[in-house]
Amino acid sequence: MGIDPIAPRIALVMGDPAGISPELTAKLLAMADVARDARILIVGERRVLADGERVAGVSVPLAATISAGEKPTLVQGKPTLLDLRSLDSAETARGVASAAGGRFAMANFKTALQLARDGAVDAICFTPFNKAALKLGGNPYEDELQFAADVLGHRGPCSEFNILDRLWNARVTSHVPLSRVAQLLTTERIVSALTLTDACMRRAGVAHPRIAVAGFNPHAGDGGNFGREEIDVIGPAIAAGRARQVNADGPFPADTVFVRARRGDYDAVLTMFHDQGQIAMKLLGFERGVTLLGGLPVPICTPAHGTAYDIAGKGVADATATHCAFMQACIMGRARAEEIQAA
Amino acid sequence: MGEPAGIGGEILLNAWRALRQDGPAFFAVDDAARLEALARMIGLAVPIRRIESVAEATAPFPSALPVLHAALASPSAPGRLDPRHANAVTASIARAVHLVRAGDAAALVTNPIHKATLYRAGFGFPGHTEYLAHLAEKPQGAVMMLACDTLRVVPVSVHLPLRRAIETLTTERILYVARIVNDALRHDFGIARPRLAVAGLNPHAGEDGALGEEDRAIVLPAVTALREAGIDARGPLPPDTMFHAEARATYDAAICMYHDQALIPLKTIDFHGGVNITLGLPFVRTSPDHGTALDIAGTGHARADSLIAAIQMAATMAMSRRRAAAA
Repeated sequence: MGIDPIAPRIALVMGDPAGISPELTAKLLAMADVARDARILIVGERRVLADGERVAGVSVPLAATISAGEKPTLVQGKPTLLDLRSLDSAETARGVASAAGGRFAMANFKTALQLARDGAVDAICFTPFNKAALKLGGNPYEDELQFAADVLGHRGPCSEFNILDRLWNARVTSHVPLSRVAQLLTTERIVSALTLTDACMRRAGVAHPRIAVAGFNPHAGDGGNFGREEIDVIGPAIAAGRARQVNADGPFPADTVFVRARRGDYDAVLTMFHDQGQIAMKLLGFERGVTLLGGLPVPICTPAHGTAYDIAGKGVADATATHCAFMQACIMGRARAEEIQAA
Repeated sequence: MGEPAGIGGEILLNAWRALRQDGPAFFAVDDAARLEALARMIGLAVPIRRIESVAEATAPFPSALPVLHAALASPSAPGRLDPRHANAVTASIARAVHLVRAGDAAALVTNPIHKATLYRAGFGFPGHTEYLAHLAEKPQGAVMMLACDTLRVVPVSVHLPLRRAIETLTTERILYVARIVNDALRHDFGIARPRLAVAGLNPHAGEDGALGEEDRAIVLPAVTALREAGIDARGPLPPDTMFHAEARATYDAAICMYHDQALIPLKTIDFHGGVNITLGLPFVRTSPDHGTALDIAGTGHARADSLIAAIQMAATMAMSRRRAAAA
């Protein structure tokens, strides 16, 4: 095994302890390429990791275990565990959302974000959180994105992206009622999404991202017969994006835009609303889907699926998407480390 | 016939080649001379047999494509739209509807039309389906279903701006569509007790109102009413998690709240073989679920999968409907 001077330093955040997250953490760390290609800091707790090892039927040899506040020295080959001792296990049961579980996941995530902010890690990968548990734990944020932006002190644009193999999906609007989407669609917002997508993909090593833009209406409005958003808003945004050197095309009918991208015509699809992208992406390969919190100073990746309480503790959870998320974090973490080294 | 400048002619010829041995037998209502010229142009050996009545169609089918001649006003060329053809295009539809309503033909299959060209010639209907509903004297409207081997979807609205589709979504409309789907699944598809999955409108089906009120206020009451009427309906379901293979196995049709909610999963699962089926008409009607593809018309590259599937589906549905009527 060669020593790589810039093997990316990845904070692997343990997510909700009641679901499949502990098992996924153990399964991931048992994969041969994981510890080989990165320097890993597991952020969580020894008992939860041990639980995951038991469920997964694997053992994870550690380089060291450190406590909160200790400066981590990370090595290739074996992960280091930052044991925050933050879970009151008396309060958690498998398959049940709990305040303690929510607080545990949030404390782990926050610690990792602070470490990233302070330059101690290059990227973050987390196993799934449970929304209900986060709420019970007193977390007021609607999603992880805004929480991460606040901890990192980031004020610029940021967005959630979905990545499947080499195909990216970005969206202009996300968790809003469908009836509000039309009024939220402005040329500025779409241009901003295009430039953000372009920038994130470049940072992830996609040299010349080709972005297909979905329409809003059936048949992308059919020349104005079925709606005008394509003519009034989306078309001008694509032109403005191209004027800024973003390689964007469209608007394409939303029902075939993923078919086009999937056959290799495009590297990314920008959708106008949540389900345009989510329906297609989940059909194309849910078991490999990665969610990226993009645009932040540090790349943050997680599998696109949830905590799967129904199969927790059974040892049958598929860690493929977690592995994909980890590898994406490595790619982007390495690029970030190289950027910082060059600067 | 469909749009003569599009790929309709060549996929028709290829569908005949695919089905001549085992059927189902079909005939075209089209311009026989243009089909002969097209076959020569793309190098397909498809003999054309002009027929005067439907009764003459079945016997020659294995050796020639039977064509009930419907003359174009002027010669057609692939890729070149011509409003002078509009009358022949709509007349072909009207004639076929007449034949199928008279019981001469068992079902109607339509090739794609080019709407803008028809509009320019004064065609007053948003699309094919609306025109057929008019011809069938069904003012409340027909219902569009799209089907592939593992999924049937039915959007409650079709060619409306998405804004309008959301504004016009009502419990009554969902009920109207779901009942027609339920009846069609029983009569045309032979499913004794159809299972319907009703999609939500909003992301995550509204998350109890946090992401939109329509799912609680409009969709849920429709599902409740369907269940009270003894129909096996479930919903509103989160739209992004109801289409994977395991979920699809739990229902016979998905009722979708807007066009793309239905079309995205269908095209993603089966881009080439999807079939468009019109429900709620007094006759069976199917069509391929693609457009006129003017850009590749005349090259011989167009895939006939969807038209072939549409013809096969039409035959299966017609038989099932006949059995249901006899029972």
